[in-house]
Amino acid sequence: MNGWILLPVILPVLSGIFLLLTSFREHLGKTGSGSGLSAVGNGMDEPERHRLHLLTCTVLVISAILAVTAAFSGEKSVTLFYLMKDIPIYFHIDGISRIFVTFTSLVWVAVGIYAFVYMKHEGEEKRFFGFYLLVYGVLVALDFAGNLVTLYFFYELMTLTSAPMVLHNGSREAIMAALKYLFYSLCGAYMGLFGMFFLYRYCDTLTFMPGGTLNPALAQDHRTILLIAVFAMLVGFGAKAGMLPLHAWLPAAHPVAPSPASAVFSGIVVKGGVLAALRTVYYVVGPDFIRGTWVQTTWMVLALITVFMGSMLAYREPVFKKRLAYSTVSQISYILFGLSLLTPTGMTGALLHTVFHAIIKSTLFLTAGVFIFECGKTRVEELHGIGKRMPKTLWCYTFASLALVGIPPASGFVSKWYLAQGALGADVGVFGWLGPAVLLISALLTAGYLLPVTMKGFFPGKEAGDAEVHSGTEAVKEPSAKMLVPLAVLAALSVILGILPNPLINYISQLVSGLM
Amino acid sequence: MNAGIMVAVILLPIIFGAPIPLLPFKTRKQMAVYVESIVLITSILAWMMLFSQPEGSFILFRFTGNLSVSFRLDGLGTVFAGIVSVLWPLATLYSFEYMKHEGHEKYFFMFYVITYGVTLGIALAEDILTMYFFYEMLGLVTLPLIMHTLTREAILASRTYLYYSLGGAAFAFIGMIFILTYGTTSVFTPGGVIDLARLGDKKDFLLVIYVFCFCGFSVKAAMFPFSSWLPKAGVAPTPVTALLHAVAVVKAGAFTVMRVTYYSFGTELLRGSWAQTVVLGLTVFTIVYGCSRALKETHLKRRLAWSTVSNLSYILFGVALMTPLGFVGAMSHMIFHAVMKICSFFCAGAVIYKSGRNYIHELRGFGRRMPKVFVIFTISGMALMGVPGLCGFISKWNLAKAAVQSENPLAYVGIAALLVSAILTALYMLTISVRAFFPGRDFDYGTISDVEDPNWMMMLPLVIFVIAMFVFGLHSEPIVAALESIASIMN
Repeated sequence: MNGWILLPVILPVLSGIFLLLTSFREHLGKTGSGSGLSAVGNGMDEPERHRLHLLTCTVLVISAILAVTAAFSGEKSVTLFYLMKDIPIYFHIDGISRIFVTFTSLVWVAVGIYAFVYMKHEGEEKRFFGFYLLVYGVLVALDFAGNLVTLYFFYELMTLTSAPMVLHNGSREAIMAALKYLFYSLCGAYMGLFGMFFLYRYCDTLTFMPGGTLNPALAQDHRTILLIAVFAMLVGFGAKAGMLPLHAWLPAAHPVAPSPASAVFSGIVVKGGVLAALRTVYYVVGPDFIRGTWVQTTWMVLALITVFMGSMLAYREPVFKKRLAYSTVSQISYILFGLSLLTPTGMTGALLHTVFHAIIKSTLFLTAGVFIFECGKTRVEELHGIGKRMPKTLWCYTFASLALVGIPPASGFVSKWYLAQGALGADVGVFGWLGPAVLLISALLTAGYLLPVTMKGFFPGKEAGDAEVHSGTEAVKEPSAKMLVPLAVLAALSVILGILPNPLINYISQLVSGLM
Repeated sequence: MNAGIMVAVILLPIIFGAPIPLLPFKTRKQMAVYVESIVLITSILAWMMLFSQPEGSFILFRFTGNLSVSFRLDGLGTVFAGIVSVLWPLATLYSFEYMKHEGHEKYFFMFYVITYGVTLGIALAEDILTMYFFYEMLGLVTLPLIMHTLTREAILASRTYLYYSLGGAAFAFIGMIFILTYGTTSVFTPGGVIDLARLGDKKDFLLVIYVFCFCGFSVKAAMFPFSSWLPKAGVAPTPVTALLHAVAVVKAGAFTVMRVTYYSFGTELLRGSWAQTVVLGLTVFTIVYGCSRALKETHLKRRLAWSTVSNLSYILFGVALMTPLGFVGAMSHMIFHAVMKICSFFCAGAVIYKSGRNYIHELRGFGRRMPKVFVIFTISGMALMGVPGLCGFISKWNLAKAAVQSENPLAYVGIAALLVSAILTALYMLTISVRAFFPGRDFDYGTISDVEDPNWMMMLPLVIFVIAMFVFGLHSEPIVAALESIASIMN
């Protein structure tokens, strides 16, 4: 029986639902007084909060351990039930699932612990952690999905269950941002579905197989419509990954969401789009079908434009979390560019960058969260001199930034190296050199939008800095250990993985060589 | 089982429903018990009939020659009769509570019960004449239900309804005469009855008539450009809009279109013709048009009515694909949409009944005052969007599968239309839920402190529908297999 591999899905989902139900029931009892949303959540007393944290923490850690154990216990598959006659809800663990589930669990636990403290000032903690657990379960299922329909099923669920995390604070802005997120994601998902209908007809099966399952005899006469279908899927799944033209939800959703939510959105949830695109191209359609077609070219162009545009917008953006959101837009398209090359090296780079970016970007968002939590600062220019008060936090930020820029020996360097190598080695004409050039420019821009925070933070300059430090940030000190430790662990990982990348690289290249 | 049971289920509600205003009920409860028992007995008889599948036909009476009013149960009829016989008792239960605040209950229930018999008549009709007869009757007996409130708006709406349905019936009549003239028989036969020898070189004539006939019957299914009566008819009491204007009447329209397409004209003749292009184009357009109008609409019930317009065209789209698979898709959406839409209408009815509010912007914060209703409303919205795991996904999948299989470029456009409509559905359904559950920080719940969830008579149908949505969504295999076997006799 392999059914136990679904325990890391069932456990967090059930506990999440339990938390949501209790939170909802409490609200029902209290609405008579006519109070607003936030007042109720803040009324939670300490022992109760402690119990909530204990429950969430236990469930998270146990599920994470179960998930990783399941992932590394060999190639296992489970058919849950048949959704339709020939379409089962089917889970299968392979190399890709392993990578995705591992970094997802790691980041989810770290951010979860951080959120215990952070969410105190946001209120509605039960609801937040309810959805937090729920989304984790859905993500594990998404990573384990063994066919396209199962993937789509959990992809939709991921969208629906993660949207309430965006509108958490209940302000009008947050609600609009959540709706925007919802509709961009749904729009993308439906484009994906459009393609799936065609793949269902022209593939032998929708089960993931390395190299694809397209039936050449059937597909021969329908190349045009199939290419359109695949393109629709790539653009559609790209919505979640923040690829042009459906990227606009990211900068809207991140600033209003609570920081732990932004961290996991940027680090993990957007990777759902990457996973879906990867599975479609490498496991269903097959890279050979789109190699050299207009689909590959357009995909590359879209990814490169997004890389450049994201960095550019981040560079100009004064709101810290929004800047990081644009940075995500840009960085995820590095990954998509790597995938679009359709070569082993390119894909290795893409997978490496997926892992590294998950860790780095959640670190960055967590530091942004610290600044908001401790001193309520949301804009970049307000952070002058912050290094004097919170040196440890800012050091974490600095390490992560260096890793994202790609300065050796930090992790971002390794993945970008492989991406550039992949582009130069691939037979993609002008993009062979244009790609690396865009990546390089974007790296410079990345340095340009991330590092000034460090510099001004530690060296605010004489007049401006003094005024800032002495007026606003007087009482500010380092955050508590519960916030700092997850932050430090993630920051350290972002560097260490760059110094000792070989185990990961070996694992990934082995996986990729089996694929192409 | 004797074929006579078919006549019994049709006549029982008509005969016992008609005298309701004359019967001396002492209390409201007595009337409720009487009405519910007629409906339940009819449904039980109908289920007995559906399970035993009586062979052969029952001729009620003959006109001259080979024209007769006769009944026979076949696969498609089973599907339609199955839908209405399950939904009618539940909707009646809901009506008892709802109609308290509407008045004129005796007349309401009279027509409500008679309509049941007439709808079953359409489902069980063996030939085109019988079907046409009951189709006309359906238009007439539902008219007073729309007029029910007797406000100026209601009278205007019922007048529009009358014109549309008479006009539609006139076009349908042309089709019927054509079938009677050029068909080998007027009895519905899988694959069609057109006598090619008699038709000769008049194929274009046939196609023109087919388009007339399709449009005529789909007036009741509210296809563009004949859709505007349906949102207007939303002035009727909610049980009417929910059961008749989301299920019985409009699905009767779709059902009759299926009958004439697959059982009278025959898809063999029509597939690939310009007539198919025309009707397919109209349905594809309506799918998007209905949704866009729904999005623009701020009145809750009218929004749902526009959504019905769009969803009925899903069914017609499946029909117009003219392949067995398309037929399966159409039938599955006929069943699933019935459940989803009646459920969302009943939620809307619960809101109106409990709070008297009709417009969407008035529903802020209702999620916390009517949690059960709004959770169910949200689930039905997700089902309509086609979230996997709920029944809407299955029928959408079947329709799209059929469209891909047909290899018709216009059908590909249709798939895109289905998905555009899905995103629009998400917009017009989920914004209501978000507004209800997340009214914003500054919202004062004191303003709606009198609103609450309704009692069990209204909740029971809702809960049953939600369970059905999940069951159909997660375990659709038996039902789809049954539909496939119905459609397989087409070849």
